[in-house]
Amino acid sequence: MVLYGHGLYFCVMQSYWFGDIEDGYCTKFTGDLHAVIDRIQSIFTCMDTYIPLDWEHAVLCGVCRDREEYLARIQAICIGAADRSIREQFSKKDAELLQMIRTLDEIDMVINLLSEKAVDWYLIRHPAFSRKYRRTPVHALVKTMRERSKGALGTVAAEIERMENTRTILAREVSSRANDVMPNTSALIGGLVAARLMSHAGGLLSLSRLPASAIQVLGARSALFSHLKTRSPCPKHGIIFQHRRVHNAPREVRGKVARALSCKLAIAARLDYFKGVAEPEFLETAQKRVDEAGKGSRS
Amino acid sequence: MIWIGDVLVSRGEGGVYHERMLGGARVWDPYRSKLSALYYSGISVELTPAMRVLYLGAANGTTVSHVADYVEVVYAVEFAPRPMQDLLELCRRRRNIIPIMADAARPEQYAPLVESVDLLYQDVAQPDQAAIVLRNCVFLKPGGTVILMLKTRSVDIRREPAEVFKDTINSLTSAGLIVRDSKWLAPFHADHAGIVCIKP
Repeated sequence: MVLYGHGLYFCVMQSYWFGDIEDGYCTKFTGDLHAVIDRIQSIFTCMDTYIPLDWEHAVLCGVCRDREEYLARIQAICIGAADRSIREQFSKKDAELLQMIRTLDEIDMVINLLSEKAVDWYLIRHPAFSRKYRRTPVHALVKTMRERSKGALGTVAAEIERMENTRTILAREVSSRANDVMPNTSALIGGLVAARLMSHAGGLLSLSRLPASAIQVLGARSALFSHLKTRSPCPKHGIIFQHRRVHNAPREVRGKVARALSCKLAIAARLDYFKGVAEPEFLETAQKRVDEAGKGSRS
Repeated sequence: MIWIGDVLVSRGEGGVYHERMLGGARVWDPYRSKLSALYYSGISVELTPAMRVLYLGAANGTTVSHVADYVEVVYAVEFAPRPMQDLLELCRRRRNIIPIMADAARPEQYAPLVESVDLLYQDVAQPDQAAIVLRNCVFLKPGGTVILMLKTRSVDIRREPAEVFKDTINSLTSAGLIVRDSKWLAPFHADHAGIVCIKP
C-alpha cells in the first residue's frame, strides 16, 4: 500500500509498479491491469531517495518468473497506461476543436489557391474578359465559370463551390463549438478567432498559461523573431488583428486596443479552462475596457 | 553497428515507416534519424544486444525502432498523444519497446517503471535539454553513456548555435559528466549537435 503523508518514511520505501520494497521486504501489488495503471499514476516518487528498479526484485516478489515474462508484463501495463492517457487527452473538449479550426484554415487556403488557378485558366479561354472596374466577388466568378465552362474547368469550378459550401458548414460548427468550449474568449473576440488563438497555442491549457503579451502577438511569429533578432519594430498584433475591434481601430490606437484586448483574453482563457462557463460580470467590464482603449486617442 | 558497404542498417522486421531494405536489413537513414547521422559523422557508440536504453523524446518511433533492433530493451518516453499513437502500434509489434507517456523533464512520473539503463538517449525539443539529461541520470548505471541531441534552435533562437553548444557542454561537465565526443550533425541536420557523455 502507498503511505501518503509519512514524510521521510515514505521516501525511503521504494514503490515500483509491481509492489513496494522496504527493509528487504517486498509487498506485492495484486490487481488487474487497470488497478496497476491506477497505481503507477498515483505513486509519488521522491527522486532524492529513489533507487532504480531492479527487475529481479519482481521475480523475488513473485510477480514473474523470468526476464521475458517481466518485459511482457511491463510492456502490457505501459501500453495500457499510454492508451488510457491518449484517450483522456483526446476526449477533452478542445482536442476536436483544434483539428476543426486547423482544417477550416486549410480549406480556406485550398479554395483561394484553386480559385486563383481556375480564374487564370478561364481568362485564357475568354481573352476579352477582365475583372477591372467590376466588383465581381470570387464566388460569383466561380459560379459563372461553372456555368459557362465545358469539361474539367467546369468540374473544378463546381468543386470549388462545393468546398465553399463545406467551409460554411464547418465554420458554423467551429463557432458553436468554440462558444461551448471557450465561452469567455469567444464572447470577447468571436468563436473563429478564439479557436485560432487556441490552435496556435496548442490547446486551451496552453493558451490559459500564456501571458497576455504572448497572446497579443500569437500568430505574428516571423515579425516577433525578426524584432528579437534585429532592431525591427515589434509586432502590435497577431491573430487578434482579425477581430474587427483591432483592425477597425484607428492606426494610432490599434496597438493600445490590441494590448487591452489581449490582457482581457488572457483572463478569459483562464476562466474558460478552469471554470468553463461564461462570466457576464467579467465580460461586461472587459468589453468596456477594450472600448475605452479604442476611444482614447491622444488629446 | 552493422554497415553494409557504407550504409548503416539494423536487422529487424521492416516496413515500420516504409524504410528501404538492403540485403534483408533495414536502412537507417541519417537524414531522418539524428542518431544515424551521428554514426555517419564518425562517432561510434556501439549498441549491443545486452543493452538497456532509456530513450527520451521517442516521437513516432522511427529511431526507436532501429535502436530496438540492436538492444535488449528500450524504455521510450514521449509526451505528446499523437506520436504516441504511432509508437504504441510499434510496441504491439515489438516486444522490447516499453512506451511511457510522460514528460521527460519529470522523471518522477515514470520512476516506478524504469530500471537502470546502460544508455540514456535524449532528443527532445526543449530549452533545458541539459537539465533534463541530468535529472534522468539517476536511471543511468555508473559508466553508462549519455547521447544528447542538442537542438540549438529550440534552446534559444536568438543565440548563436555554437554559443548554446558551449553552454550545454559546460553545464554537463560541471554536473560531473565526462564529455567524450561531440559533433555537429551537418549536413544531415542543421544546427543540431550530438554530444556523447560518460557517467563516471
